[in-house]
Amino acid sequence: MVKPSSQIWTPEAIEDVHEKAELGRYRIRGFSSFQKVPHFDDLVFLSTGLTRFPLEGYKEKCNTKVVIGHRYASQPLELATPIYITGMSYGALSQTAKNALARASSMVGVATCTGDGGMLPSERKNADKLIYQVLPSRYGSSPADLMQSDAIEIVVGQGAKPGTGGLLMGVKVLGDVAEMRDLPSGIDQRSPTRHPDWLGPDDLSIKIEELREATEGRVPIHVKLPACRVVDDVKLAAKAGADAIVIDSMLAGTGASADIMLDQSGIPTIAAIPLARKALSELGLDGEVSLIASGGIRNGADVAKALALGADAVAIGLAALIALNCNKEIPEANYEQEIGVPAGYCRHCHTGKCPVGITTQDPDLEQRLDFEQAANRVANFINATSMELALITRSLGKGDVRSLEPEDLVALTMEASAMAQIPLAGSNKVY
Amino acid sequence: MVDIDASQMTTRDINLRLKSNSFSNNGITVKNSQGRHNLGVGLSSNTEIKFEGNVGYFCGGLSSQCQIVIQGNAGWAVGDNLMSGSIAVEGNAGASAGSTMRGGSLFVRGNSGARTGISMKGGHLVVGGDSGFMTGFMMQKGRIVVCGNVGEAVGDSMYEGEIFVGGTIGSLGSDAIVQDASEDELIEVWEMLAKEGIAERPKFKKIVSAKKLYHFDSLERLEKNVI
Ligand SMILES: Cc1cc2nc3c(=O)[nH]c(=O)nc-3n(C[C@H](O)[C@H](O)[C@H](O)COP(=O)(O)O)c2cc1C
Ligand code: SF4
Repeated sequence: MVKPSSQIWTPEAIEDVHEKAELGRYRIRGFSSFQKVPHFDDLVFLSTGLTRFPLEGYKEKCNTKVVIGHRYASQPLELATPIYITGMSYGALSQTAKNALARASSMVGVATCTGDGGMLPSERKNADKLIYQVLPSRYGSSPADLMQSDAIEIVVGQGAKPGTGGLLMGVKVLGDVAEMRDLPSGIDQRSPTRHPDWLGPDDLSIKIEELREATEGRVPIHVKLPACRVVDDVKLAAKAGADAIVIDSMLAGTGASADIMLDQSGIPTIAAIPLARKALSELGLDGEVSLIASGGIRNGADVAKALALGADAVAIGLAALIALNCNKEIPEANYEQEIGVPAGYCRHCHTGKCPVGITTQDPDLEQRLDFEQAANRVANFINATSMELALITRSLGKGDVRSLEPEDLVALTMEASAMAQIPLAGSNKVY
Repeated sequence: MVDIDASQMTTRDINLRLKSNSFSNNGITVKNSQGRHNLGVGLSSNTEIKFEGNVGYFCGGLSSQCQIVIQGNAGWAVGDNLMSGSIAVEGNAGASAGSTMRGGSLFVRGNSGARTGISMKGGHLVVGGDSGFMTGFMMQKGRIVVCGNVGEAVGDSMYEGEIFVGGTIGSLGSDAIVQDASEDELIEVWEMLAKEGIAERPKFKKIVSAKKLYHFDSLERLEKNVI
């Protein structure tokens, strides 16, 4: 008789030791964390009954428009719905994928973001609103591109790999990806994790001023933080002069990270948002510094819950890639043959062998992604997500997504209650 | 030459003025810079700019084409992300001088601090005196010349580019090695110094990448080309 497996020596833990015994280094993968942690599914809405009236879907409008980064910027970001596409590098993604995301963002009136490795001219052309990332590596960093951006995001760290630098395997550091980054072709790209020209929060405030000087105070300056010591980090970023803060949780996606970082650092999204909100409230900066949440946003309910917990907008990565076709069975792809797992189980973005042409620099694979169709799918997805958000908001008796609040939620588990600071369903108690 | 008095202006006004003056052939002198941060940031045309006095962080950062002279010391990250043009610091520079510069030239007549030329992606950086620890950290392209001594971990994890050191080397960083400089290279470097008014001709040591960190030593099954 086969005995049940050990609680700690699961087949996965055993396989991990075997793999590292061969490899002699830490393992790398894409996608996101495999940890089971409390998430948005552990929270539900208290929609209306007799205490509040719902709004009529077809008659009464629900405002989804938000403005981000108005603290100091003379031209803050206006989003038709509080969902934008996060920074994913050209290099991690194919050019077609970058362009399709940019086009989709324009179709639905939101923004997209460059990522590591610089700005593609075609991305700028396709995106009405483009956020320009300033990362520790400064790969592809160009003042001219920065000055034609609509917002700037200083990346202190990413939720998928806090405290570690970007990775791009040699199969992707080819052609103009290598050229734009000033790197030798084909090398496994490592990146610094600290910024080259500033270290602590005092320096950061001068860096923020530098970026403001370069753009004449026109565009908002975001600071992206991995969700770790959230309250202190958010306070320091806000005091350093950020117009908006992006809090990126342990559930955030990545193109490549050490898997030990994906699973073992940072805190869940539902814990991070209330802490970030608390930090801004304690500084009296509610309504002044915008809060953007990212990490595991999948649908309109997740967006609504993020907003109710205190975010002003969300950024999406993997959801947008999945709308592009990630993990979808398409006639041109043979997942089992090409990457060794069936569609739905692919987590192999770092290998450059993306069967659907998204996270690859192989021209044959990239051809599997049709630009127009891909852009339409992402635009449809964002529209659908926004409709879900509006539906939930109206069902709560509210005509504006900015009115969502913690009171609209209850938690289904004690853990979620304690982390999100939301009462457990059936009680008035926050655990 | 037009003169402006920084002590009477906000940093934004100074920078707007420097930008608006960018199109005239005459240079501009900024008096009383008094260690102010972010002076001459984001400029993009061929103008001569002189700062009388010390400047703070990021002077000349995110700029291209202009020729900047700093008649004093510079704070951190002078010439950060410089694309083209030139910056000359007549005194000393703080940490991260020329960080991530991609073109143009930066000259520091005195000493420069830690992380000089960090993540440099092109252009030339010349230090007349000594430079601090981690000079040329993760350098990608371009040339750094230090006439004096360099601190510890010089050239750590550099990808490409070259660092010439006239004095002593505190220690080499990971994957950095010393190579013999050819006679032609030495002549080129001496010419660079002569342009900055340095007559000495030190026998430079040349530091480059051993390129041993270019690839992970091993790949997982799925990272190789086999399933
Ligand atoms: C393929 C891919 C590439 C990424 N590249 C970058 C990057 O260049 N810079 C960055 O700050 N974050 C990068 N990220 C992280 C995202 O910006 C974001 O933090 C994350 O995707 C949010 O979580 P979600 O994917 O669950 O929505 C990348 C993510 C993915 C999936
Ligand atoms: S299908 Fe492509 S984008 Fe999706 S997980 Fe696999 S490699 Fe990554």
